[in-house]
Amino acid sequence: MQSDSITPDTVADNVRRAAIDKSVRGPVLFLFLNGAFWLMLATLLGVLSAVKLIAPAFLEGCPYISYGRLQPAHINALVYGWGVQAALGVMLWIMARRSGQELRSGKSLLIAAGVFWNITITFGILGVLMNKSTSMEWLEMPKWTWPILLLCFLTYAWPMARMFGRAFRPEGFMVSTWYILGACFWFPWIFITANVALHCLPGLGALGAGINAWYVHAVILLFFVPVGIGAAYYFIPKITGQPIASAQLASGGFWGLAILGGWTGMQKYMGGPLPAWMPAVGAFTAVMLLIPVGLVGLNHHLTTLGKHSSVATSPTLRFIFFGSLFYPVSGVVLALISTFWSGAAMQFTQAWYAFQMVSVYGFFSMCAFGAIYYIVPRLSGCEWLSVRLIRNHFWFSVYGVSTIVIMGLVAGWQQGADLNNPAFWDQNFMNHVINSRPYVVARAVAFGLISFSNALFLLHLMLMVAGLGRRSNAPTLLHREHHDEQALPTGSHA
Amino acid sequence: MSPAHPDSTDLDRLHAAVKREKADQAPENAPAPMWATFLLMIVAVIAGAQLGGGNLGGLKFSVNNPFPAPTPGDDIRPGGGGGADALDPFALAMKKGAGGYAVCGGCHQGNGAGIPGQFPPLAGSEWVTGGTERLIRVVQHGLVGAITVKGQGYNTPGGMQPFGAAMSSQDLANVLTYIRNSWGNEGTMITKEMVQKVRDEEKRASQWTEADLKPFADKNVPGDIPAGPGVTAAAAPAAK
Repeated sequence: MQSDSITPDTVADNVRRAAIDKSVRGPVLFLFLNGAFWLMLATLLGVLSAVKLIAPAFLEGCPYISYGRLQPAHINALVYGWGVQAALGVMLWIMARRSGQELRSGKSLLIAAGVFWNITITFGILGVLMNKSTSMEWLEMPKWTWPILLLCFLTYAWPMARMFGRAFRPEGFMVSTWYILGACFWFPWIFITANVALHCLPGLGALGAGINAWYVHAVILLFFVPVGIGAAYYFIPKITGQPIASAQLASGGFWGLAILGGWTGMQKYMGGPLPAWMPAVGAFTAVMLLIPVGLVGLNHHLTTLGKHSSVATSPTLRFIFFGSLFYPVSGVVLALISTFWSGAAMQFTQAWYAFQMVSVYGFFSMCAFGAIYYIVPRLSGCEWLSVRLIRNHFWFSVYGVSTIVIMGLVAGWQQGADLNNPAFWDQNFMNHVINSRPYVVARAVAFGLISFSNALFLLHLMLMVAGLGRRSNAPTLLHREHHDEQALPTGSHA
Repeated sequence: MSPAHPDSTDLDRLHAAVKREKADQAPENAPAPMWATFLLMIVAVIAGAQLGGGNLGGLKFSVNNPFPAPTPGDDIRPGGGGGADALDPFALAMKKGAGGYAVCGGCHQGNGAGIPGQFPPLAGSEWVTGGTERLIRVVQHGLVGAITVKGQGYNTPGGMQPFGAAMSSQDLANVLTYIRNSWGNEGTMITKEMVQKVRDEEKRASQWTEADLKPFADKNVPGDIPAGPGVTAAAAPAAK
């Protein structure tokens, strides 16, 4: 630990890092806070859309909240409102810290881009609710939104790439920044490709559906996953004080993801009107992706071996640890919905939603929460107020998202197997819908839990950003043994 | 300005969070365990199978569906739907009629017993097991007014609605065959042709009354009975 031996060097180093924190303070807090608002909205819409699946007659007279508009609004708020904003905040801070570079100029440009991003998705999601949806999954917002969103994203990606370029980069030392730099480049590529193909090329026919499915997979695998892994690779060594176990595994995991991530997606339409090689390549890659997933998981496992006590005390590590546990889970779910054997039953069922939720919420968001719990005290100059709020946020999130994923998979398997079962060839489709209702009830309850946890999180974050946190030099730690709601001044695990 | 405000110059307070951080460290070079290598090889084998092992279409550019195509002439429906192993027409009508009966069951109940005083029973009813012509006419055009079934009087307000307009003659025939041969009933099959014949002869728009139907009480619609009770030899399928 550095504070054990205070030399002029460490003092200079502390001042330098504090200066870096201060330079990115405005944009990062802006992104986190707005992201948390969108997350709150997204989870409430999640509850509503699950309720509409259970009781379609609920608030029947109001066309704005029919299921077909609610579900896209829910996913878009989650992905663009919360996901991308939280990711950009985490990326910017880690990139600045890891490259040792201050954000030199353009801070107000970044805030302006953040404002435009929020205004654009506000109108975009209102557009979805007012029946102006494009009906393309994850791209439902009206098509005028995409150039604006792209520009806003590039406004953030550019300074990050510059920071990486200016940094001193010793061999093998930059594991988390590889991923973040990758995400800076991959998201614009995916976003441009999908939008140009779907909005500008005429007459795509069935291929359009394939490109759309590719877009969803690629955003998950080449944007949300790298940011989540980047955060995990940064914070696990930072908090446990244990170096990443294996540079080779880290580089194998990164290049595996970089090479395979963009090839998958079309297997969503296996058996559909696409040439068979497209789903075949997608299914092949989806299963092959278990290799980089396994390498990263193994590396985290080797790094945290024997360090699990800090998972109990550090809020950051606890969120990151469980987020990282969900990464292999999301890999397995992707493989399950993608192979020709299991995918034939699971395609077009609730299992698809389970995959989106396990990757965007279970994996990415949990890692982002962990990062936020670490970053915000450094930017706002005060400590998290309440252990209880953090603990409730954690447990309600974990139980909520696990329920959604398990229910989605089981319901998906049942729906798909029943639909494919020749013995049920004369069954009414409504019977299958009614059979899956209990799982949707569970989903609604789980989203209720998640909404509650996010209300706590939003409240906590608002207080922190307003500078109303605890005035203390000691971090806010979760301490299990004493059932002690007070923060403990043990110092090392924050 | 409070001393702990983030813009304060109290560096010691300001950097509290920064000072307790641990230093970044270079990754180590722990070897990957052997079992992990084997596991990942298995993953690669499973993945490779998606590219066209076994019966899957995979990377063949001439193939449009990765799933094995049924051989031509195969009917994947159970019973083959007309192939050599087809259900005989009577069994098929019973199976399909059971599904169609969901509409009737709302009033006449799943066990065909009806509800005393409100909806007459179908089980053991002379209206069902008697002449086919009256039965077809009831379902095709509806029935209203007081009627007597199994010695009990019924007079449901509004009577029974006509179902003929909304159903194909095949569906109607299936349901009628089903009710004539369930819950202990036994009666000849009613075929699509019989229903069609009644439809062609009778185009009335109003519901029947019991008196109107008296002449048809014991009349059977002529026609071949391909299977089931009372099968006519001419239409029976050739022995297998």
